[in-house]
Amino acid sequence: MTALVQRAVEEAGLSGVLAERRRAGTTHPEHLALLRAADLLALGALADLIRAEEVGAEVRMYIPPPPAVEGVFAFPTDGREWTGLELLREIAIARVTGPRAARVRVDWTGCGLEIAQIALGFGANELAGYLSTKIGALIGESDLTGVGRKSRLELASVAKKRELAAFVRRASRAPVFVRADGSRETIEEAPSTQEAT
Amino acid sequence: MTTIEAISLKVRAGERLSFDDGLALFRHPDVVALGQLANEVREAKHGDRTYFNRNMRIEATNVCVASCLFCSFAKLEEGAPGARTMRVEEAWRELEARMDDPPGEIHIVNGLHPGLPFSYYEELLAGFKRIKPDIHMKCFTAVEIHFFAEHYGMTYAEVLERLRRAGLDSLPGGGAEIFHPEVRTRISHDKANAEEWLEVHRVAHGMGIRTNATMLYGHIETFEHRVDHILRIRALEDEQPGFQAFIPLAFHPDGNGMKNLPAPTAVDALRTVAVSRLLLDNVPHVKAYWVSMTPEVAQIALRFGADDIDGTIVHETIYRAAGSRSPSGLTSEELVRLIQEAGRLPVERDTLYNVVKEHPRAVMPESALKVRDRKAAKHLEVLS
Repeated sequence: MTALVQRAVEEAGLSGVLAERRRAGTTHPEHLALLRAADLLALGALADLIRAEEVGAEVRMYIPPPPAVEGVFAFPTDGREWTGLELLREIAIARVTGPRAARVRVDWTGCGLEIAQIALGFGANELAGYLSTKIGALIGESDLTGVGRKSRLELASVAKKRELAAFVRRASRAPVFVRADGSRETIEEAPSTQEAT
Repeated sequence: MTTIEAISLKVRAGERLSFDDGLALFRHPDVVALGQLANEVREAKHGDRTYFNRNMRIEATNVCVASCLFCSFAKLEEGAPGARTMRVEEAWRELEARMDDPPGEIHIVNGLHPGLPFSYYEELLAGFKRIKPDIHMKCFTAVEIHFFAEHYGMTYAEVLERLRRAGLDSLPGGGAEIFHPEVRTRISHDKANAEEWLEVHRVAHGMGIRTNATMLYGHIETFEHRVDHILRIRALEDEQPGFQAFIPLAFHPDGNGMKNLPAPTAVDALRTVAVSRLLLDNVPHVKAYWVSMTPEVAQIALRFGADDIDGTIVHETIYRAAGSRSPSGLTSEELVRLIQEAGRLPVERDTLYNVVKEHPRAVMPESALKVRDRKAAKHLEVLS
């Protein structure tokens, strides 16, 4: 933890939350009001710190989004329109109040890639969503032949996955795609990016 | 002590940051930490106050002799498909049509049209002032002023003085792109260079004309080029003050000569706003230009160092041509809401940052709180 983050957490009155989390792996329900009222960036810094300590830098990506399972905190939740700031706060709170090494997932089809990328700095460690071609056709795993000559959809999928992987790297994180069968796929870094990785 | 900690101590002590500090900030992986630092500076300067204005964009002609690689707006000559030059009456009608709820500012940016007389621009300005004498005319980038000077055989001061007599009040900040010649000669070789752009602003400031400054980021430039760009703005402000706001502009790749490049990401937008705020200790305002970064990301940028979200715009076409998904205009009510939702205090300003109206802070509707509480309970159930 840098002194800068430590200071932000202290000044926001969140040191006790962090200490309890580290000691017991939980967050006391009484701390919730504190988290709701905390400065968003201090809360984000706390959530990001907990994320780094508990699940590391890896970002698992699911295309298309898998069915909801118990214990995954998936955002945005249905039923209301979120502002980006509200979503970031909820994601950070999920990371801080959820169980140790929780899976905090953001669906970019629900909030846009921009907000999903920013959410990686607020405690999220999974991304999910659909891929589409330029004309809007959805690309799913079943569209991929996997043998012989690559289909146009498969090529589009590879290109889109490369874009997504770059998005994650530009948020200073490590992308891994997880297939429906649970196997993992890494995508090589594109030759040149001008942003921080 | 890490570099970022050393920089944060300098920031807190009010010390000026160096080129190397700027580079370290751009390279720092924790964008939330950068945001916190920038937010400290922003709140020290402006508290929660967040500015916007009621403005209207007019692009009177898209005919342009320059061939900038990043531009999706310009057409090289009159008569080319998509080329359009408004008659002055057409431009004036845009304002006349909105006189029941008129903007406070008209912001005009054009292509570099080789076939129009200088009187076209003078007439354009004078006509708007006839319709609404107190309207603020923020018109013509330094690139246009340089073009006018060369094309019509005048000095910068002569161009600015004639335009001022016709109604010009201030200059926008466009056309700065990236100053460093390694980039500028590749992306916009046939218009005002960095020294000429800066000289126009130097002359304008000397004449008491306030201006803004921009930086087009996220294409072929490096972080070194960005820091160099920002520090040149800072140096001119030291030498001849007059900048009001710095506006980072995200490159959009659709339909232009750099369409093979990816657009910069939201994290890069927040990083650039934050670093700009930290380096530009002498420029009062940093804008989160919602057209460039989308209203959603602009709203978040208000917590990463930005204190201004620009204006209503009404009808923006330059970014739209380059594939921006932002709307072409927002109402002032929408801007107020964006600012309130960010926990800031909305302040409607005029172009020179005089306060027009202070809006109230947001009052959270109870229904929203209930929804949040339900979500919180869900998290806690998992916890227990």
